[in-house]
Amino acid sequence: MMRYLRRAYAKFRNLFSNSRLEEDLDREIATHLALLEDEFRSNGLIPYEACLEARRAYGGVEQAKQLHRNERTYQGITQAAQDIRYAFRQLRRAPGFTAAAVLTLALGIGANTAIFSVVNAVLLKPLSYPDPDRIVQFLLTFPQGPTPAASVPDFHLWRERTRAFQYVSAYDFDPHVVNLTGGVPEQLHGLHVTADYFRLFGAPMLLGRTFTSKEDSPNAGNFVVISYSLWKRRFGGDANIVGKVISLGNEPFTIVGVASERFHTDPVADLWLPFQFDLNSSDWTHYFKVAGRLKPGIPLEQANAQLELAANEARRIYPLADPQLGFRVQPLHDTIVSGVRPLLLMLGGAVSLVLLIACANVANLLLIRATGRKREFAIRAALGASRRRILFQLLTESILLSSAGGLLGLGLGVIGVRALLAASPGDIPRIGENGTGVGLDWRVLVFTLGLSVFSAVLFGIIPAWGASRPDLNAGLKESGNRQGASFRQNKVRSLLVVSEVSLAIVLLIGAALLIRSFIALRQVSPGFDPHNVLTMDMSLSGARFASTASVSRLVREARRRLNAVPGVEASAMTSWPPLRGRLGLPFIVIGRPLGDSSSTGDGLWMDASPGYFEVFKIPILRGRGLTEEDGAAAPRVVLINESMAKRYWPNQDPIGQQIIIGKGLGTKFEEPPRQIIGIVGDTRDTDLTIAPDPTMIIPEAQESDGMTAFSLQFNPVIWLVRTRLEPYQMVPAVAEQLRQATGGLPVGHVRTMDEVLLGSTARQDFNMLLLTIFAAAALVLAAIGIYGVLAYSIAQRTQEIGIRMALGADRTNIRNWVLRQGMLLTITGVLIGVAAAFGLTRLIAGFLFGVRTWDPVVFIAVPTLLTIVALLATWAPARRAARLDPIQSLRLE
Amino acid sequence: MPSKERGPIQLLQGTLDLIVLRTLFSMGPQHAYQIATRLQQVSDRLLNLNQGTLYPALVRLEQYGWIKGTWGKTENNREAKFYAISKAGEKALHAETARWRKMAGLVERLLIEDPQP
Repeated sequence: MMRYLRRAYAKFRNLFSNSRLEEDLDREIATHLALLEDEFRSNGLIPYEACLEARRAYGGVEQAKQLHRNERTYQGITQAAQDIRYAFRQLRRAPGFTAAAVLTLALGIGANTAIFSVVNAVLLKPLSYPDPDRIVQFLLTFPQGPTPAASVPDFHLWRERTRAFQYVSAYDFDPHVVNLTGGVPEQLHGLHVTADYFRLFGAPMLLGRTFTSKEDSPNAGNFVVISYSLWKRRFGGDANIVGKVISLGNEPFTIVGVASERFHTDPVADLWLPFQFDLNSSDWTHYFKVAGRLKPGIPLEQANAQLELAANEARRIYPLADPQLGFRVQPLHDTIVSGVRPLLLMLGGAVSLVLLIACANVANLLLIRATGRKREFAIRAALGASRRRILFQLLTESILLSSAGGLLGLGLGVIGVRALLAASPGDIPRIGENGTGVGLDWRVLVFTLGLSVFSAVLFGIIPAWGASRPDLNAGLKESGNRQGASFRQNKVRSLLVVSEVSLAIVLLIGAALLIRSFIALRQVSPGFDPHNVLTMDMSLSGARFASTASVSRLVREARRRLNAVPGVEASAMTSWPPLRGRLGLPFIVIGRPLGDSSSTGDGLWMDASPGYFEVFKIPILRGRGLTEEDGAAAPRVVLINESMAKRYWPNQDPIGQQIIIGKGLGTKFEEPPRQIIGIVGDTRDTDLTIAPDPTMIIPEAQESDGMTAFSLQFNPVIWLVRTRLEPYQMVPAVAEQLRQATGGLPVGHVRTMDEVLLGSTARQDFNMLLLTIFAAAALVLAAIGIYGVLAYSIAQRTQEIGIRMALGADRTNIRNWVLRQGMLLTITGVLIGVAAAFGLTRLIAGFLFGVRTWDPVVFIAVPTLLTIVALLATWAPARRAARLDPIQSLRLE
Repeated sequence: MPSKERGPIQLLQGTLDLIVLRTLFSMGPQHAYQIATRLQQVSDRLLNLNQGTLYPALVRLEQYGWIKGTWGKTENNREAKFYAISKAGEKALHAETARWRKMAGLVERLLIEDPQP
């Protein structure tokens, strides 16, 4: 045992005294040889023969040295160090090659790092709450799919009929706008929550406390918890703020606590207000989300089993419930990211294809270089380097290249991810404000490192394998100038180019399909005219706006003022503008037999003031539009859109018919019958990609008080103005009139309808943009690949071409011969790529609009485009070949 | 003896170390050339190895602490590295010799008891 320890120590020590040991060994060997020579000479050999005999008796000097080295120290370590030094030298000697390889890799790795940083922040990082995997989202499940929504009775059932949860809390879908009044008015983002919200998410409090269950009961008063940033910014970090009263929408609210800086919610909020639910309510409207925290040790399945029983109960007590309604929970993280997961996976897939192409290109470069270095490897092998040694040497060079590429790529990735987030539609969850949640962490670093090593092996292994078994005879014989690549290597290179082309085809087809979708989306008419329309949000809350009458007085006054502003063509107000979500409500047609399926229906519901159809230039197809006469006291009226008329009155005239909206939904929505007075043109209000739904439009002045209060609690009202001038020029005058009409309320979120429309397709545009960038990179890389292989193969075959010419081939023949080679590679790659794309485009079907996954235009245009590019890349080498001077090319030898 | 058995034989793993130790033990400090020559004499040219292959064994033994190399002069006034066996080396030699004898005896017995091929 002892001797092994001693030996290990000696070997380790010898790592650092290599040159002394080498010298020692040289001396020893020299002595040995001299002594041998002495012996042979004394046996009567002449000095020359004695010297030869001595060497023969001794054996290979270099081999003996190598054996000595292997024995005396940890050869792996010294070799690795040697390999690295040697690789550095080799790469420095070929700066052009090194730069090209490192840059290609940096682009590939950088793009992957950028995408991965986002994937990491959104999909991989656990939520920033204590025990995040125990937090779940409650879902309503319908035959059409699950939705994370809830009503008060649902919430009540979940709390009362299950025992799996430690806490269950409701909170708003989205933050709503709150006017902080008193001093400079300011629009803030508030979130309604139930008392357990903070406990559920383990919110650390900086000051004070969270809501008590008493404060969260109906008519308990006004209480608020504020965020750290609001406390710092607006209240100067006042340490005695708890108990103070602030004014929200001109009403007093008592601050009970300040949340700590470390509490990040999704959605982000400036302040939190208690919902103050009446838990006995029978209002089945789904207007908030519910999350829960599982008790320790309770599995998800157990919670779901309990919820199944609760769903039975719900269907029993709520007759209007969908007979297939179910309750379920899933990890909160899944709900938050479910919308972007496919997008990120698609981008990840696309960007990894780019890296593959980059690797193929670098592999090609290395292969070409390896042919140039044949002699070097042959000499090393002749001097006793083992195959493994040469393989490792070359892999070391690859890893050095990819490490440099990875380092540069990391930098590019950090920049790239900022560009990516700047271009992103801004609705990606979990990336924090302005993408501050996305950054470098150990996962990104490990990913980039892993990617570098992986690429090194990927692009390095084939060239290294080939070069590590040199044909000593041929390698040493060949003169330094002309080194032919073996047939096998040419085949490998062709294979690489073919795969590059096919990968590029897949990416290009994906991008082209998205471009087609983009164009199709641009051609969709929303059904309204968005040009020169200004939209502004205003939050109306508090006792002042408790009734429909008060709101509609305000609307009348505001519209009178707005219409008087020079340059304003029309103005209107609604709580449910296009592209910002709608309420769906059931209705009953009066006069049709009850219980018959023709007597009931569902439609989207919205309110509108007079002027709405004028602002959006929505045509009145039959009947009339809204006027000032349709007030609270006038007969109750409703307009419907064309889709609703066609679906529910297929062969009838709906004008004059009566419907009851919201029957059975409780006092908030239930109302007396209304008469249909007009049919308006269809508009795409949900999303440009979704066909118009049946829609009911009622005059804002005829809403129920309950509905008004409900809308105003969660939504701002939207002012709409059609201008004759550029809309933004009108903002100061319009905002001023609105301020005067409302007694000083500010407007926020000022946008033109054109911008809203653009924003609604931002995600599609983003997908298209990124995939197009990736595809363009792929195209360029593939073209470089084809060019490289052909140019090299021409350089290599100069003599062959010379001979062909000497034998009578004319220049056109030669050119076509090279072109044919290039085209053969391209067409093979194109065919494989098209076949692969047929299978793969299904994966992006969800991102397409107005184009099929096998769109013939795309599947013809893209291969054509790539072939043309490849032809261009082939042209230069082909011309060069055709212009060769046969005499000179033959003299090359 | 049939002629086909006249060729050089392959050295068993570990035997070179033993032979070197034994040589140094019985002959006193020697340099690599002397050891190699001695090897050839003793083996009656049956062991026909390249003299360079001796070096790894010398490194190994020196690193075990069993032998020690020092530079000195030969009788012809050439400088050479002389290897001498150490105390630990002598101990190891005894142990290894005993082991080798046991092993050889075992093999020998097996060869005798089994019917001749």
